[in-house]
Amino acid sequence: MISIKGVNKSFGTVVALKDARLEVKEGEIMALLGSNGSGKSTMIKILSGLYNPNSGSVEIDGKKVKIKSCVDAHNEGIATAFQDLSLVPTMTVIDNLVLGIEPLGKFGLLNRVKAVRMAKDILDRLGVVCDMDAYVQTLPMSTQSMIEVAKAILLKPKVLLLDEVTASLHHDEIQLLFNLVRELKAQGIAILFVTHRMGEVFELSDRVTIMRSGITVIDEDTSKLSMDDIVYYMTGKRPDAGKAEINLEMKEERELILDVKNLKQSKVRDISLQAYKGEIIGIAGLQGQGQPTFIRTVLGLMKPEDGSIIYKGKQTHYKSPENGIKNGMGFISGDRNKESIFQHRSIEENIYAGKAATQNIFKYVTVKEMKQFSLDAINAYKIVAGNVKDPATSLSGGNQQKLVVSRWIALAPDLLLLDDPTKGVDVHSRREIQQILRASALKGMTVIISSSENEELIEISDRIYVFYEGEISGVLKKEDMSMEKLVAAQMGMTSEGNGV
Amino acid sequence: MIENIKNAIIRFKRSPAFTGFALFGFALILNIIIRGPAVFFSAQSMGTLFSKNAPIILVTMAQAVLLITGTLDISIGIQLALVNVVVIMLPQELGVSIPVAWLIGILVSLAISAVGGFLVAVLRIPSLLATFALTFVVMGINVLIMNVPQGSVPKAYYSTYDSLLFGFLPVAALMILGVALIWAVVKRTKFGKHIYAVGADPKKAFAAGINPTGTIMKAFLFKGFITGIAGIALTLMIASGNPLQVESYGLKSLAACIIGGLGFGGWGSMASGVYGVGFLVLIQNAVYYFFNFLQGTIVGFQITSYWQNFISDLIIMLGLLMTTVTARGQREALKQGISRQIKRGDKHAKES
Repeated sequence: MISIKGVNKSFGTVVALKDARLEVKEGEIMALLGSNGSGKSTMIKILSGLYNPNSGSVEIDGKKVKIKSCVDAHNEGIATAFQDLSLVPTMTVIDNLVLGIEPLGKFGLLNRVKAVRMAKDILDRLGVVCDMDAYVQTLPMSTQSMIEVAKAILLKPKVLLLDEVTASLHHDEIQLLFNLVRELKAQGIAILFVTHRMGEVFELSDRVTIMRSGITVIDEDTSKLSMDDIVYYMTGKRPDAGKAEINLEMKEERELILDVKNLKQSKVRDISLQAYKGEIIGIAGLQGQGQPTFIRTVLGLMKPEDGSIIYKGKQTHYKSPENGIKNGMGFISGDRNKESIFQHRSIEENIYAGKAATQNIFKYVTVKEMKQFSLDAINAYKIVAGNVKDPATSLSGGNQQKLVVSRWIALAPDLLLLDDPTKGVDVHSRREIQQILRASALKGMTVIISSSENEELIEISDRIYVFYEGEISGVLKKEDMSMEKLVAAQMGMTSEGNGV
Repeated sequence: MIENIKNAIIRFKRSPAFTGFALFGFALILNIIIRGPAVFFSAQSMGTLFSKNAPIILVTMAQAVLLITGTLDISIGIQLALVNVVVIMLPQELGVSIPVAWLIGILVSLAISAVGGFLVAVLRIPSLLATFALTFVVMGINVLIMNVPQGSVPKAYYSTYDSLLFGFLPVAALMILGVALIWAVVKRTKFGKHIYAVGADPKKAFAAGINPTGTIMKAFLFKGFITGIAGIALTLMIASGNPLQVESYGLKSLAACIIGGLGFGGWGSMASGVYGVGFLVLIQNAVYYFFNFLQGTIVGFQITSYWQNFISDLIIMLGLLMTTVTARGQREALKQGISRQIKRGDKHAKES
């Protein structure tokens, strides 16, 4: 039905897809698997017309097609239910469902009766109960996901892409969805679905395609694969017999810096985590399992809905990150442009910004002091910079990130929180950042680092907490860290079961 | 039956036009109190109100369409002056008949809107910057066409504009009604739905198979059409030409839209804009008559018109504050939706 061959896609120097291939036959349910950065999202986006590949070909029914935009994809019979939803939040359910395929009546006006009939039929089949004229933003997330699927099916596609649509659905809704997907399969529609829940893969799919680092590793019947096989193809290594264990109680003699108990905040459902002085804690997990929310809640950017955060022996009630930083926390975001670099300000101002935040607001800052402070940081952390008066954007991505790291390290915080700090950073700079972090930890700083790069976490962390759907699915100690265990835990494979 | 009406009221309360409507109602009541219902609703008073304010009302309706599409045009005011100079100068200098001149005026308005649309939709210059720059370009064109205020409109035309149809219906109000009807039709077409989608989130609209560039372009053209009509209304109102006038309508119409409850993109309706501009117009009207009343009753009470503007602008600012309050109400609704979902999630977590 649909086949993709030799697709290459790179973003700048980062290669997302390397000669990737994928084939889904008529009436077949294909599961697309891969860990973070394996290229599965890129693949979906190319098929749905959001990205244009650098090279490669897409064939539908043996005919070469060009997909340059979402309109092209629709015309070729490809419909996508997106993970981050393509629904317009300020429009009503009915308007969203028929958006782009509005049924027209007399004089080119919309035929509402027809639209409602179309929508009602599909929503009934999916068991969605909602007011057709309700604004989508007022509906619960799970209903929104179902509507997203309904919208894709309304396009009457030949190929249906489901990109992690089950992530926010409840158990009974998933069953309804699966029943409908099986019906569609019987009608001869090719279905490609992406999920991180292994149980669903075995329950629903006929075949599995696994990707790793932008390459399609294997394409096999689901029945011929075991859970261990899947982990093997995703990581390139066989998992050990023993699976990651939940071991939340850690007996340590060192001073407890951060003690989070049963924290709840939107995507974070129930997280308990302990960090001791001088320890580097890694936070692993697939994207969207609540890692960013967790870090920002500890910092005070978001308020916990439930549970407690005990920092240096005291319960925190932070109103904003300012409170956290005044109490010796530091925060480095991987989203440089949004949350850390002042793009058009000079390098020295950028380095000094963290120190400035901890001082009295009316403190007089001399030119000399600022220059000395920044020069020290530049020398200490080997930032490759021209003039300290140049704007921060004159630095390379890696050096910008080192700059942010140095900004905080220079303040010697007691607890440094990093959210995917090495995103888009070259290998060399990454290594240097790791060295800086290790050296600081030896001096007694506690580091909590969230990363989508598993190798990085294994290299640097003393302990790794694995997040899965807002809960901890495993804690790995230095001694028993391995790629296989980490990936297994990320898939929700704990001793409790397969995570459905 | 009662249930239905109740639901309709609840739905209207939640709709984006509600704040605007509440403010409009407030201003209306204020006017009625100050002038007395009999005087205020007299055909003559209504006629004056509409004929003096039809251009700003029409311009706000045009601006509302752009705001829904997630863009705006602050050069819209000076564009009215452009239509004005075109429809005055064509008959005067080239002897073109007036209806043809009006048609050309609308075409010119469409053309300048197409330029604005090109800058915003195709070149993707932020609409505030692009249209601010366009203001000066249009100003230059206006002065090239007409260097000093001049010209006239035949009496038959402007007296028709000021007249009342069947003795009670102001002709100016008919123009507004006409545009509102066109919008009522357009709103129910594909284009009408697409502008909401593009305004709310162009990326999501693109993912749904809509062409955002084309949609924004069309919205600008639609705005150009309404602006053309507004320009003709302006010409009939002042019955002469002035190349540098009503520039402030650009910002005024924006303020009216915001007061009416339009968000920046995908939220609100043209009705919001109409309520907003109604509030603006009626407050100015009320304050004017209120000061007249004071001057009439208190002997020796003398005050400059600056005070009038100050008071009416103060009330308008309060109106703007009101909109943030209702926006908070809408945020509440969103919050409730989320908490409902979380609670439901807990229930299912226990089951499985």
